Amino acid sequence: MPGFSSAVMKEVEGIFQRYPRKEHALLPLIHLVLRENKGCVPEEWDQVLADMVGVSLNHVRGVITFYDMLQREPRGKHHIRVCTSIPCGLCGGDKVLERMEDALGIHAGQTTPDGMISLEEVQCIAACDKAPLIQVDDHFAQQVDPDRVEEVVAAMRRK
Amino acid sequence: MLKETLLLAKNIRTDGYDGSLEAYRRAGGYTALEKVMKSMTPDQVIEVVKASGLRGRGGAGFPTGMKWGFIPKDRKPTYMVCNADEAEPGTFKDHFLINNDPHLFLEGMILGSYAIGCNHGYIYIRGRSVRPAQRINEAIEYLYKAGLLGKNILGSGFSLDLTVHRGAGAYICGEETALLESLEGKRGQPRVKPPFPATHGYNACPTSVNNVETLACVPFIVKEGAEAFKKIGTPNNYGTRLVGISGHAAKPGIYEVAMGVSMKQIINDLGGGVRGGKKLKAVIPGGSSSNVLRPEEIDIPFDFDSVAKAGSMLGTAALMLFDEDTDIVELAYRTILFYNHESCGQCTPCREGTFWLRNLVRDFRENLGDSQKLERIGRVSQQMFGTSLCALNDAAAGPIKAFVTKYPEEFKKHFI
Ligand SMILES: Cc1cc2nc3c(=O)[nH]c(=O)nc-3n(C[C@H](O)[C@H](O)[C@H](O)COP(=O)(O)O)c2cc1C
Ligand code: SF4
Ligand code: FES
Repeated sequence: MPGFSSAVMKEVEGIFQRYPRKEHALLPLIHLVLRENKGCVPEEWDQVLADMVGVSLNHVRGVITFYDMLQREPRGKHHIRVCTSIPCGLCGGDKVLERMEDALGIHAGQTTPDGMISLEEVQCIAACDKAPLIQVDDHFAQQVDPDRVEEVVAAMRRK
Repeated sequence: MLKETLLLAKNIRTDGYDGSLEAYRRAGGYTALEKVMKSMTPDQVIEVVKASGLRGRGGAGFPTGMKWGFIPKDRKPTYMVCNADEAEPGTFKDHFLINNDPHLFLEGMILGSYAIGCNHGYIYIRGRSVRPAQRINEAIEYLYKAGLLGKNILGSGFSLDLTVHRGAGAYICGEETALLESLEGKRGQPRVKPPFPATHGYNACPTSVNNVETLACVPFIVKEGAEAFKKIGTPNNYGTRLVGISGHAAKPGIYEVAMGVSMKQIINDLGGGVRGGKKLKAVIPGGSSSNVLRPEEIDIPFDFDSVAKAGSMLGTAALMLFDEDTDIVELAYRTILFYNHESCGQCTPCREGTFWLRNLVRDFRENLGDSQKLERIGRVSQQMFGTSLCALNDAAAGPIKAFVTKYPEEFKKHFI
């Protein structure tokens, strides 16, 4: 069974102290799993998490299947999010996504075969004045020109 | 020419301001807290907020002082929860505050916590906002060091801890009872009400859930008094709004205006009108949950009551402009796609209704529309109203119905 390192376990103890019940710490603990596992929650972790916070395996699975960010497949080294909500979607976000899929040769929700870049289509990420918006790892790129998407991808590949 | 009224964005608009604790204090920050810790009882804080007429900025516009007054005084613990989920498409005002001046809403949150007797507050922020969450955590760390959080704040005997809790990608967790479920480590599905959070909220204890922008108004009210706040805005709609202009605007961004100024002026004077000299086709005034307005309907005061009277909603004051080239069917499709995806699924009318509406609008998008389908969109949305546990259902049905009623010609272009 997988587990946290002792350094991370110290963080876990700190987190437990912030909540009146251990089970309330489930999401923060899942965020630690994401951080330590390339942005995903491998299934082997479900029981570990259930035991740590004292809930059933079903409870943990129910939570993991509910939230969009909680995925089973590892992300690429770099993660690109393309917003296609309103207003981004109506300011060219849909075209940006199309070009991005072409440039990477994958669909949204997939990772390039070399494990370098994963692509996600997202709903509004609260920076709509910069539409159309993409997020590369934790950085925003604003007013993305669909015609320049290939350049962006090429630059990322070089890094 | 309409100008901004700076109440919340005053610091942010000051050159060189970096939002640090030091800068915030230099600008007079935390003097409201000092005043309260020295000389005001919790009830007095509630009274001044009540007297100011402050209404919630999270969407529904509920009076904040009244909400705090509902918290029973004989039950402990109580909780203050700040709603920083901000996932309504078109909305980015709370992140504007979090990123640029986090101490403003944090001071409001400390004051609110004191008012309702809370010793541990939670800030619920959407999962994908990694940096904004870090920003708040850093600010909190400084507050502990400065003795403005933790035990015995400023020697007053009042103690408060604050914890940032990150969501994991679910719009519905912005709904306050779903948020509380999520905070308790569960699936974020709204609760049956009553009981309301004021009596049974977080961990079944009395809880007040307040929006970031709402809390950011509190330091001013406490410091300058209710009357100073009421000088801004219109009766029953006091204070300012952080208006987030986006879409096909020439100058998208956040602008702070007194409530009740002309919406048309906000769009033209601050937002710069439609970019590229194009004509305006549609305006969504308060986030994706509010009904679309046609260009001839936008000459109204921008406040809760006037926008409601015009058949829409001030909501999150997220003004989206769409130019003459916009396909309203595409706009409707993006909207319903969102709600269908975000419906938590526990109420049949919402789960099935958003699904059917999505399929119907998609038919138009693929040029497979006809008059029967157009009528069916109206009927399905009509049947959804008021039948579900939370407001997401109506927030999906309303805008779709408004699109087909106000722009039938756009849908007719997509007939088979
Ligand atoms: C589907 C849905 C999503 C919501 N999302 C948010 C949100 O992201 N932020 C927010 O402050 N309020 C949101 N609300 C409103 C909250 O339920 C609640 O009314 C608000 O946080 C109360 O704070 P206020 O009184 O300061 O406005 C949402 C409501 C619904 C029905
Ligand atoms: S109305 Fe929709 S989102 Fe709200 S509780 Fe019911 S199914 Fe869930
Ligand atoms: S719609 Fe793209 S960030 Fe809001």
